[in-house]
Amino acid sequence: MTPAISVTGLTRRYPDQVALDDVHLTIGTETITGLLGRNGAGKTTLLRILSGQEFPSSGSVRVLGSPPAENENVLRRLVLVREDQAYPDFKVSHALRAASFCYPNWDADLASSLLKDFGLRAGKAIKSLSRGQRSALGITIGLAARAEVTLFDEPYAGLDAVARQIFYDRLLAEYADFPRTVLLSTHLIDEAAALFENVVVIDRGRVVLDTAADGLRGMVTTVSGPVLAVDSFTEGRPVWERRGLGSQASVVMVGQVSGEDRERARSLGLDLTPLSLQQLVVRASGWAAGAGSLTERTSA
Amino acid sequence: MNTMIKVARYHLVTPVMFLGLPWAPLAGAFAFALARDTSHGGLVFIFFMFFVTGMQRIGGRWLPFGLALGATRRSFYAGTALLGVSMSLVYGLVIAGLQAIERATGGWGLSITFFRVPHLLNGPWYATWLTSFVGLSALFVYGMWYGIVNRRWGMLGLLAFVAVQALVVLAYFWAGLDRPLTSVSALDLTGVIAALAVVFLAGGHATIRRVTV
Repeated sequence: MTPAISVTGLTRRYPDQVALDDVHLTIGTETITGLLGRNGAGKTTLLRILSGQEFPSSGSVRVLGSPPAENENVLRRLVLVREDQAYPDFKVSHALRAASFCYPNWDADLASSLLKDFGLRAGKAIKSLSRGQRSALGITIGLAARAEVTLFDEPYAGLDAVARQIFYDRLLAEYADFPRTVLLSTHLIDEAAALFENVVVIDRGRVVLDTAADGLRGMVTTVSGPVLAVDSFTEGRPVWERRGLGSQASVVMVGQVSGEDRERARSLGLDLTPLSLQQLVVRASGWAAGAGSLTERTSA
Repeated sequence: MNTMIKVARYHLVTPVMFLGLPWAPLAGAFAFALARDTSHGGLVFIFFMFFVTGMQRIGGRWLPFGLALGATRRSFYAGTALLGVSMSLVYGLVIAGLQAIERATGGWGLSITFFRVPHLLNGPWYATWLTSFVGLSALFVYGMWYGIVNRRWGMLGLLAFVAVQALVVLAYFWAGLDRPLTSVSALDLTGVIAALAVVFLAGGHATIRRVTV
């Protein structure tokens, strides 16, 4: 089956920086993927290239089997919701009407029910919306478009916790009703972690982690307790970081923890805490500077 | 074609902004002409507004949202130009109609020649229609080209764009190719403007191909 998104050797250079550096990425159809990384890591550039709004310097990009740039057959099946989307001098209703005849699968009922959930008035001028309300408008367009490839770039900047929960719930419900390929870039990693089937981490223009989210859960664990017990438990295992405070130590250990390991930890009086996705991403981003990808390191 | 129509519909989501805007300054100028009992000159406003509208539709925020809705640059360009040219066709006819009324009413009862421009727009209705249609279209696509240059290269790009054109015009005069306007018939001039419009259209098309949003 053709992947929804396939990127090989993608590089985008600007006069003052390399935004994307030899990116390789494959995203299967009907999956939800988290695109994570720091500000300026290259997430937005990647999404803009995938949607044909920007051009690569080199490399190949395929969306739904074809290069997206200037390709109507791809672009009408794709939607990109950008945090910084510019709108003409429109009211909310104008933007939705324009979207309604541009997207073949547009669901007008869904759009109005999302507006209601977000408390957004259709008659309001877009330029007078708050940041959160603009995000709500972007999310409404992105979900109601029911596009085969749905790209969200930081879709919920300025949204309150309740509205964000509405987004997660509606995204999952919509995904169940009308499965599509979703690529979602976000900074609120732990909050959105449950949505992701796959996780891609970009740092300084390079992909440093590209893996199934399930595989990540429990892959890295913090072991803490008495120094001697910690050392004995982690002996011979790859270790990321070691901290000591008097007779206590805390070690970040890589690798799955078996039932047997848990039993042993309990008998040694150790605490095992799995690293959250967010902590993993922070480390993957930090590590990229000197040491290749997280997956490379952990296989050592 | 289908996407071009979608782009045209997109521009007409707020029809007043597109259809009404070019007339507002013209209406003001006409009211002024009536009140002061002065004559020609004010008609230039509608041509100017076509230039501004063309520039704004592609240089402003219409393009980024249009591309976000899945239009390609090519179809956005073609659809916008198609709409501008269609509007020129209709508005050219309106100008010809207003000119006929002006003639029939003896210059709105005040001997005003607002919709008649000596030599250029002073012939039969169909000549006025043709010349205004070509002039409005040319200014619309000319404005589009400015908008695209601005989006692609910013203010410096615009300045360079104007400078290059100024050099072309100067070279034209230095080479002694210029002739007094009155020695050229309105129809010939219309032909020259139509040829320029084609150049503008091709130039804008070449410029938009690598625009990013």
